[in-house]
Amino acid sequence: MIGAAAQEPVERRVHVGQGDHFVSSDPDVVLTTVLGSCVALCLRDPAAGVGGMNHFLLPEGSGSGTDVGRRYGAYLMEVLINDVLKAGGRRERLEAKLFGGGRMFDSLSDVGAANADFAEKFLADEGIPVVSRSLRGAGGRRIHYWPVSGRARQRVVTDGAILPPAIPSSPVATGDLELF
Amino acid sequence: MPAAFAIRTLVVDDQLTMRSLVRASLQQIGMRDIEEAPDGEAALRSLLAQPVHLVISDFNMPNLDGLSLLRAIRAHPPLSKTAFIMLTGRADRELVQRAVQFGVNNYLVKPFTTAQLKEKLEAVFGPLT
Repeated sequence: MIGAAAQEPVERRVHVGQGDHFVSSDPDVVLTTVLGSCVALCLRDPAAGVGGMNHFLLPEGSGSGTDVGRRYGAYLMEVLINDVLKAGGRRERLEAKLFGGGRMFDSLSDVGAANADFAEKFLADEGIPVVSRSLRGAGGRRIHYWPVSGRARQRVVTDGAILPPAIPSSPVATGDLELF
Repeated sequence: MPAAFAIRTLVVDDQLTMRSLVRASLQQIGMRDIEEAPDGEAALRSLLAQPVHLVISDFNMPNLDGLSLLRAIRAHPPLSKTAFIMLTGRADRELVQRAVQFGVNNYLVKPFTTAQLKEKLEAVFGPLT
């Protein structure tokens, strides 16, 4: 062998926790998350080379069918979309990948499916194509997503590493400004 | 005391889901005459063709954003008296203050309830019947 091997680019991992979102145009960034009944929307503009991920859970008992759930969910989707657009993305070029919405506990309501239903309906209504998805079913998922290339990797989690999600307590706005 | 059904409204947001949520809330409040536009430019075209009493508009939109739409409305005498309520995200304090400078009538932080929207409408128009 002559000389040193070409240096591997340094991968920068960013964990996206529940209620968070992250947008990047850095090809070395990989977004990671672990999903139970939560859903992660991975969104990117392939032409602009920018993308991001969110990680959300609709409030309990307020699945896709209810008013509060739709309002909260639509807000969480919008903050990710807006940040991708601010970073140079174009709405008409956006493409989505969806993960999560697993059935984690034996309960009467399937929270995961409600989250998956909401995300699919939202993207269909907004005309954003879903290029791949892994939704519902039993168990958790560990996701890696490269927001610039759009590559995604999923591993099924069976080791009990998934904690029960924190249910959002106040889905509506707080922190009004005193201007009126 | 204005009647809710008599207030003609234009809802401006680039997300169809958000427009339909705002429309559903307005209908619950009793409003009937509701138009929609997907961005500021389309909103302005619609307003010039058919003025309304109230514009409820998002900020982050392609083509013409909410702040530019507000400025255009205030600068155009036939439209300048149109009531304007803006929709904003939680972190947009600076934006709210700029909108106040440009003559916004009120604002609403997403995500909001129908009751919160009604409260803002009544702050602008007085109690609605």
